[in-house]
Amino acid sequence: MRPLDWAVLIAALVGIVLYGLWKGRRTRDLDDFLVARHSMRWHHVALSIMATQASAITFLSTPGQAFTDGMRFVQFYLGLPVAMVVLAATAVPIYHRLRVYTAYEYLEGRFDLKTRTLAAALFLVQRGLSTGVSIYAPSVILSVIMGWDIRWVIFVIGGSVTLYTATGGARAVDNTNFQQFLIIMGGMFVAFFTIVWLLPADVSFAEAAHVAGRLGRLNAIDFSFDVTNQYNFWSGLVGGCFLALSYFGTDQSQVQRYLTGESVAQSRLGLLFNGLVKVPMQFFILFLGAMVFAFYQFNTPPVFFNPVEAERARAGGRGAEFRALEADYAAASAEKQARAREFVGALRAGDEAAESAAEANLLAADARAREIRAGAVGILKEQSPRPEDTNYVFLNFVIHHLPAGVVGLVFAAVFFASMSSCASALNALASTTVVDLQRRIVSAGRGERHYFVSSKLATVFWGVFAMAFAQYAGQLGSLVEAVNRLGSLFYGTILGIFLLAFYFRKVGGTAAFVGAVVGEAVVLYCFFYTRIAYLWFNVIGALAVIAAALVITAFWGGRGGAEARRADEQ
Amino acid sequence: MSNTPAGQPPRKYEEEPPPFGGSWRALYGAVLAWLAVLVVLFYLFTRAFR
Repeated sequence: MRPLDWAVLIAALVGIVLYGLWKGRRTRDLDDFLVARHSMRWHHVALSIMATQASAITFLSTPGQAFTDGMRFVQFYLGLPVAMVVLAATAVPIYHRLRVYTAYEYLEGRFDLKTRTLAAALFLVQRGLSTGVSIYAPSVILSVIMGWDIRWVIFVIGGSVTLYTATGGARAVDNTNFQQFLIIMGGMFVAFFTIVWLLPADVSFAEAAHVAGRLGRLNAIDFSFDVTNQYNFWSGLVGGCFLALSYFGTDQSQVQRYLTGESVAQSRLGLLFNGLVKVPMQFFILFLGAMVFAFYQFNTPPVFFNPVEAERARAGGRGAEFRALEADYAAASAEKQARAREFVGALRAGDEAAESAAEANLLAADARAREIRAGAVGILKEQSPRPEDTNYVFLNFVIHHLPAGVVGLVFAAVFFASMSSCASALNALASTTVVDLQRRIVSAGRGERHYFVSSKLATVFWGVFAMAFAQYAGQLGSLVEAVNRLGSLFYGTILGIFLLAFYFRKVGGTAAFVGAVVGEAVVLYCFFYTRIAYLWFNVIGALAVIAAALVITAFWGGRGGAEARRADEQ
Repeated sequence: MSNTPAGQPPRKYEEEPPPFGGSWRALYGAVLAWLAVLVVLFYLFTRAFR
């Protein structure tokens, strides 16, 4: 990076930490620390929700996904607006009326202590580990691309977030999330317009988009129904809706964001704004990746975007062969560039026959380049079982092609994306630890000051835990992947418990608990013995919990009259 | 189950109207209608560049 980039990055990091400390300086009690005294306006709630969901991997991996697989990933988010409407209409008023600090508090009032503790424990395990992964994942990419020491990257992200979150709690988190999200999106817009500006002078933006489209990168929608296909309209709308219901309705890192809203209306508007903006935002980030792809149809890309893996292959036993493949790939890329220009010429002339012929030539040149790349990846597989460079495409492009200052801005955006989701997670982990475990089970009846100090200490504990896990995550291999999958394995079950609580008044605590165990068993069976795409696990898990609980209630009876009335009051 | 801080009156829950848009039902409809518009736009986009 050049001096201007360093200046931008350091100013951004120091500035946001000071801003977080300043905003959180008046946090003096538990209510302030956990829910900012319910003082946030809807635009703060909305951007904090969006910053929490969008981790650094969202901004690194999503453009890479469009580069390699096209834009069909946008369908993953189609169920989100539906979920926002459902939650705004149902969950938000319930949580506000009961004035809970955590989503799991509600479960005790509705069911019993064991159901509350089960849900809180599942959240702590899953979110504690995934926060470590969310620090590790961008750190490893930044360290590989820039040659930085990964331990320092982890420390900068985790340490700075822990500092302002432990000091200012929810108020610091929501305010920094708001500013960070604006800078993240600003960085992405600047990167996008720079990519368009870097296209060859004789190729228009629309023509470059047509090249990307003909090579299968602008495939935003697919209406075919296939339960083994991860990303199509139906899995996105139905599976994505259940996933979003679970994530935004039952995951404390999100529930806490809209609990900071100053009223039901402000919290609702925050969620609805997310429902309006999230899908176009993901479309934009994917389109940015597709334009990086278009850029490389007129410029020569590396055969593999992870520079460390590529260098290791050059120095390995088949190094000469790898270098020969790199030369072949550069030649194939030059051929493809010529065919792309030929296609653009035919497109401009409006000659359909010439356009079809040029498209066939372009596809053939693309197939040839992909064949050579597959050969290079085959060599890489000998040193690493699953060589992967999707996550490296965007940053590799940024450091090699974007001007000074813009590179620093994009790097600041990556740091901020990681910091914002990590800050919300630490705030939520501390809340759940203190409210659902310490204050309820371990040391009940102590003064509020005690729990306020405990919340700060719990934030520090989870920050150190996340950094420690991130330091060793690289050595854990498949465990990291397991943690990433953990969410989709448990979200459906947790959602099922909450849906029972919200909508099935006759179902009691034991039926819900046994239903959760049955639902989880069904999800694990699907995971190990079927090829069903993981988005459907959220639907299957939630429906299995509800079905099992209803059967138990039908055979063994539900809540008594007084108990059911209490549930109705909630 | 209430976390009202000491010294503060219990938070009063009210079904407030939205500050704009008329009613919550209308806002929910607008979000869902916007989703439908996006799906149509994505379909046209996919077709235009196929």
